[in-house]
Amino acid sequence: MSTISRRQFLATAALSLGTMGLVACGGASSGDTGTDTAADAAAEYTLVNEGKLTCISNLYFPPFESMDETTGEPVGFDIDVSKALAEHMGLEVNWLPSQAFDSLVPTIKAGGTADIAIAGMTITDARKAEVDMSDPYVDSNQSVVTKVGSEDTLDTLNAEGKKIAVQAGTTGADWATENLPNATIVPLDDIISAMNGVLTGSYDGLVTDLPVAGYQIKNSFTDLQILEPIPTGEQYGIAVSKDNPGLTAAINQALADMEADGTMAAIETEWFGAEV
Amino acid sequence: MSRFRRGHVVARSCLFVALLLAAALLMPSEAYALTTNKATARPNENGGSNVIGGLATRLTWEGTVEDGESVSSVTLVLPEGGTFAGSSTKITALDGLDRAAVDGFATANDNQLVVVFSQPVDEGLLIRLEVEGMAFPSEGGDVVVSGTYENASGTQQLADSKPISTIANTSLQMLVATLDEMEAVQAWNSNPFLGMFFKPQLLVTAFSSLLPGWLLCLVIVVVAYPFAIALGLVFAFMKISRHRLVRAIAIVYINVLRGTPLFLQIYIMFFGLPMMNVNIDNNVLGVIVIAINASAYLAEIFRAGIQSIPQGQYEAASSLGMSYFQTMFNIILPQTIRRVIPTVTSDFITSYKDTSLLSSVGVMELMMFAKNLTSVSGNMTPYVAAAIFYLIVTLPLIKVVTYIENRMAHAERGGGPRPKAGERSAVEEAASDDLAAAELSTHFEGLGEGQLAPVPVFARMAQEV
Amino acid sequence: MALFGKGSKGIAAVDVPPAMDAERAARLGYTHDNKLSKHAFMEGEHPVVRIEHLNKTFDGQTQVLRDVNLNVWNGEIVVVLGPSGSGKSTMLRCINLLETPTAGHILIEDEEITGRKPKDVALIRRELGMVFQGFNLFPHLTALENVMIGQTKVLKKSKEEARAEAVKQLTAVGLADRMDYKPPQLSGGQQQRVAIARAVAMHPKVLLFDEPTSALDPELVRDVLNVMKDLALHGDMTMIVVTHEMGFARDVADRVVFMEGGVVVEQGLPEDVFDRPKNVRTAQFLGSIE
Repeated sequence: MSTISRRQFLATAALSLGTMGLVACGGASSGDTGTDTAADAAAEYTLVNEGKLTCISNLYFPPFESMDETTGEPVGFDIDVSKALAEHMGLEVNWLPSQAFDSLVPTIKAGGTADIAIAGMTITDARKAEVDMSDPYVDSNQSVVTKVGSEDTLDTLNAEGKKIAVQAGTTGADWATENLPNATIVPLDDIISAMNGVLTGSYDGLVTDLPVAGYQIKNSFTDLQILEPIPTGEQYGIAVSKDNPGLTAAINQALADMEADGTMAAIETEWFGAEV
Repeated sequence: MSRFRRGHVVARSCLFVALLLAAALLMPSEAYALTTNKATARPNENGGSNVIGGLATRLTWEGTVEDGESVSSVTLVLPEGGTFAGSSTKITALDGLDRAAVDGFATANDNQLVVVFSQPVDEGLLIRLEVEGMAFPSEGGDVVVSGTYENASGTQQLADSKPISTIANTSLQMLVATLDEMEAVQAWNSNPFLGMFFKPQLLVTAFSSLLPGWLLCLVIVVVAYPFAIALGLVFAFMKISRHRLVRAIAIVYINVLRGTPLFLQIYIMFFGLPMMNVNIDNNVLGVIVIAINASAYLAEIFRAGIQSIPQGQYEAASSLGMSYFQTMFNIILPQTIRRVIPTVTSDFITSYKDTSLLSSVGVMELMMFAKNLTSVSGNMTPYVAAAIFYLIVTLPLIKVVTYIENRMAHAERGGGPRPKAGERSAVEEAASDDLAAAELSTHFEGLGEGQLAPVPVFARMAQEV
Repeated sequence: MALFGKGSKGIAAVDVPPAMDAERAARLGYTHDNKLSKHAFMEGEHPVVRIEHLNKTFDGQTQVLRDVNLNVWNGEIVVVLGPSGSGKSTMLRCINLLETPTAGHILIEDEEITGRKPKDVALIRRELGMVFQGFNLFPHLTALENVMIGQTKVLKKSKEEARAEAVKQLTAVGLADRMDYKPPQLSGGQQQRVAIARAVAMHPKVLLFDEPTSALDPELVRDVLNVMKDLALHGDMTMIVVTHEMGFARDVADRVVFMEGGVVVEQGLPEDVFDRPKNVRTAQFLGSIE
């Protein structure tokens, strides 16, 4: 837990530094602004590091984001999207170390640490109240996952004494508290520990985004099963500070360009075998 | 003939009734062109799991357009007192798991919400309406969402949703509302740092919602600690045992537990035990992990404490004819306990703080609640509230440690409470003599430094015998 | 060869002969020690402590005791003198089995005490009271409790009996008004007197004093010596006292034993040893002290 609080402290410390930095720059520095075609349409924006699109995420959410087994480098759908984004914006991409999912929005809100959070993050009104969300770049759904051989159904899971693991701060967690009110909802730092917990019997089930569940069950957690896909039609967006509307606009423009020039389709095909 | 006919008529009417019954049983879904699947509400109690009436929350309504039908608008109706005013509605239509291109706009009209689709929604699609910022009737109770829809043949009644249970507003929530209104609070919160870490509204709700977590922390550590002390003593004695095997077991136990992160031990216990089909309640398991972990540290504290007792104490006890156990329990341990109380208290503080690591495996302790609340609110204040909860226990304990340490230091200098008014000279004598005595008490003629190693005389003697 | 002859050969005996026949040893010791002690010998009496060919080596190399032989008789006050490092403390600690002899025999009332099980050792030790240089009082107990604990835990006396005995012994050492004090609140001299009371209250067969006044400030020594003198002259206690207090030895001792280099160099009546030392080393040592 100390890591989180330390990180938060750093984030806040960085906040004040960042603010000072902004004052110093006075917003006049053209070096901080994107100069590519994508940015031409957009207003000016500021970046934490000049010429770099600094991204944060929780890197335990494959296939959207995870760490390469050998190098520890971030890999995944969102990482490829971030690279393409940066490319379209004429920037370099810079990934910061993984942090807890529930700390991503506060970090972006605080500013000074990262420009964007791209983390399989569903666009919700609650998040939009804290940060700006880009246009959606991919669709998702929820799913309830249990262990293979479990006799639970959605109805039996919604009962006193049942434990449902979720990732703290996710729409899956929201869905679980709203739709399984009788079960105990256990919010964890990342979905991998939730999956481990279901596998070992600590929890009766978990709720997470369907693509993640599908990918993980196929690749790593073969003893888990999707009990039921939950159609929610939610859409992922990229979180940007409300103080940086120019960046949101630039990202939306870049996303539209990527959709138009087939970049997005290529990334989707690479990670999901088809366009989503 | 007539008999036959009559019988035929009876049979036919029976069949008709049976068909009707069957229809009645099978049809409810068929009876609507738009079937209500569910209506749920997001809990809006800060730090709680209740849906509070009269406060903004999010209603999620789902219905399926049946075969051969199409729906052009949906109207949701709340009971009297509920309101959609000021809400925003997210309209999603899904074909299986894929989003369908359906658009529309919602008009809120007090307790009615009219959603008109830009083009009729086709058969088989799931309509999902997320109404953010609506409120249920403030008196609470079970709320049924009803309504109408329009299809090709006109306006139809929607099936009522399953009731959503809501509660009336709580006093805490009202306090939060009062705080929301206050200008000073708003000014305070407009400072990014204060607003992020010390938001008064959240502080208030966090204190109430973190309370069960805090109590669980206390229960875990208070229950675990006596076991830790007992285990620690056992392993302390094992570590100074004269049997090599017993010593080895103790050394492995202590070093492995002290040499690995508690986090890892928690993971192994929580994920490992269930795999061996050992299913223990999470809280009990938490107690076990904390007790085992603390026992290793305590074993070392006790071992060092026991061995810090001067050799002369063992010799004096044994020259009175005391056995090993008599010496330990009457002479060595009472002195050891006095000496280790500050260290043990510090270790207790550590163990108490360590319970926070249990949140990573879903024990509903303080940090878990704080994390939960932070993830819901996107604000760090709950962590500050958690910190205050920790300090409530740790600060007084730290003070106790300091007090005991001072008192012990004082007593060792020959001070401390006296049964009667002592003579002044006696005090001064004591002060000077004790230093000399302390220096000399470990000195024995003819013994090299090696012999002065603090191995209890019994262990050493028995090895030789 | 006289087994109990004075001035042992100082041979590091590895194979020591078994303890000799008790009757014969007693007879030989009787005739021998009679001349060396002011002690009043009784017919047919056996020594309380019999040390035969005692050897002690530390770490397998430092030989501290070399073939020490000594008898101590019932009621006899033996003062052991010698320069530091002479092995006198080690000999005392061997008698109490705080040190395990490397070779040789120690008999208490004709009972072999070396090579015994820990359980027997505890039984033997309760017969041997010990007063340490560093007092070694139990700091968590009051003076009274210090004197009581051995009686209640080891002798299994009732609390009342133990308390009565403790009060009696503490009063005897002049600490009736300090019984409820804990050791850190007492002066060194007072602590040592409590330690003596603690040892005496166990009514051991032999009281061993290991330099009881060495850790004391000079002005406090007298009190402790007075208590010891009182004990020696008015009690029927057998005492072996390792000390540097020549005055005490001259006034109180029935016999003085001079050790050096792990060997008993000379022993005899106090006036013989002090005024007419036979051994040159004894004379040198006494000269250096005086």
